[in-house]
Amino acid sequence: MVSTECELLTSQLVAPDHYVMQVLAPEIAREALPGQFVHLRIPRTMDPLLRRPLSVMLADKIHGHLRLLVRSAGRGTEIIVSLPPHAMLELLGPLGSPFPMPDEVDGGSEKDVLLVAGGVGVAPLVCLADAMRSLDDTPYIRSMFGASTEDMLVCWTELAARSDEFYVATEDGSAGEQGLITEVLAGQLKRGHARVVYGCGPAAMMAEVARMSAEAGVPCYCSFEQRMGCGVGACLSCAIGAAGGGYLRVCKDGPVFSADRVDWEAIRNE
Amino acid sequence: MSDAYPDLSLHIGSLVLRNPVMTASGTFGYGLEYAEICELSRLGAIVIKAATVGPRMGNRPPRIVETAAGMLNAIGLQNPGVDLVIAEKLPELATHGVPIIANLAGECVEEYVVLADKFTACGHVAALELNISCPNVEGGMAFGVCPEMTAELVGSVRAITDLPLITKLSPNVTDITEIAVAAVTAGSDALSMINTLLGMSIDIRRRRPLLGNATGGLSGPAIRPVAVRCVWQVYEVVDVPIIGSGGIMSVEDALEFIMAGASAVAIGTANFVNPLAGTQILDDLIAYCQTNGVHELSEIVGVAHG
Repeated sequence: MVSTECELLTSQLVAPDHYVMQVLAPEIAREALPGQFVHLRIPRTMDPLLRRPLSVMLADKIHGHLRLLVRSAGRGTEIIVSLPPHAMLELLGPLGSPFPMPDEVDGGSEKDVLLVAGGVGVAPLVCLADAMRSLDDTPYIRSMFGASTEDMLVCWTELAARSDEFYVATEDGSAGEQGLITEVLAGQLKRGHARVVYGCGPAAMMAEVARMSAEAGVPCYCSFEQRMGCGVGACLSCAIGAAGGGYLRVCKDGPVFSADRVDWEAIRNE
Repeated sequence: MSDAYPDLSLHIGSLVLRNPVMTASGTFGYGLEYAEICELSRLGAIVIKAATVGPRMGNRPPRIVETAAGMLNAIGLQNPGVDLVIAEKLPELATHGVPIIANLAGECVEEYVVLADKFTACGHVAALELNISCPNVEGGMAFGVCPEMTAELVGSVRAITDLPLITKLSPNVTDITEIAVAAVTAGSDALSMINTLLGMSIDIRRRRPLLGNATGGLSGPAIRPVAVRCVWQVYEVVDVPIIGSGGIMSVEDALEFIMAGASAVAIGTANFVNPLAGTQILDDLIAYCQTNGVHELSEIVGVAHG
């Protein structure tokens, strides 16, 4: 973890309200693992006050570039996405616990990994697929991406390019299957050969991904979002319910959790 | 302009802190979370997250919500209990060479006495801060809004420990000077103020409170004028050091508190925005003193009172 000032190289609108920011942050890019995030300070203001956690979509270790996917959803992110090139940003990172690689997961002798993305949740999965591509023992990557409409399949080419198979579902049928991405996952789980399922998206989607994976007997890891304070595990603000009682810190214990550690009932009701 | 290093030291009872910039309880964990990026030994002290007698799970999420120039929190005193704090957190924090101030949260006088006894016996703690002002648990503020209960609590803890005693006051009272005087008369060596202001935020889309606990504690720059006013009022009625806190983000903010009467400052919400806020404010305070011919911080403590 470092606290560093770094230069915004480019900021590009990639879908309605969604931007990809490229930042020169060599120290963070070198260390960042898939699933980790950076905590970005909003420049030159105390209102809005708090930093914004952004997951790393790609870390180019050679050039020291970070690519971050930002959804403009409020005053803070509006300021962030309207920053001009060459603006200086204060980043804290990389933070949080990464996705485990397939060989760190007890998935028997199966070779396939399933990636399930919902909306802006695609970002850490692109990073994960990218890292798995460079493993000596590259797994067979089957990716699925769901969104409300075709427009919202943000950066889908980034995920598709790093996957062996790629599936799409939209709620309005404007691209891929009409329906929820979990319906696609059902078919993919039925095919067998899945070693592990990785998910990131809306809470309701992840709860369903976790339930279906458990039913199929496949280990599942999900990456969470929560309103966050410090980002380093000190303030205990970003709690989510833990299976068996108590709470987990999204910033430090997560954002990636094994699905069996999470109290999904509490998350559905929050 | 003088390059001489100013005397920023601070006496709390028998304890001498080398500088007056500390972290506020609950905003800096056990210090260890920040050790990778912050030189902890440069801080005047670290006030650790509040400890309770038994473990506390904390409140239902969401526990934090951003507000205008501030934030609401309702963590609910989540901590593993005093025994685990002493066994698992303090030995490691102690290796960093920074004075540790324990923050104690009890539900009755007896619990505060138990906590004080354990922290005194553990040997790692330089001072005790009595949290009589937590707005986020049932009964958390009960002591802090009543002068008689404050006096009874402080007196009971005073009787069983030789450690310097700090009482953290709540702004959620009609007259904060009454509570301050009660705490000092009962033996508090210093006062820490202010804790968060009780507040609330509604999610108009869901038509429900945003926080899982409904209400929470407001902190950040939004509350600074309230905190400065509290320090100003209390400085006029007590003779013990005041540790000022409430939205301090910069040395200018810290100086407001000092000039209102604080001998030290605690950095809270600023740690979330800038994890190096404490050490940067210390550097800037030294530079301010050098530039303005201040040899001892005491020269400007309360100077705004004329």
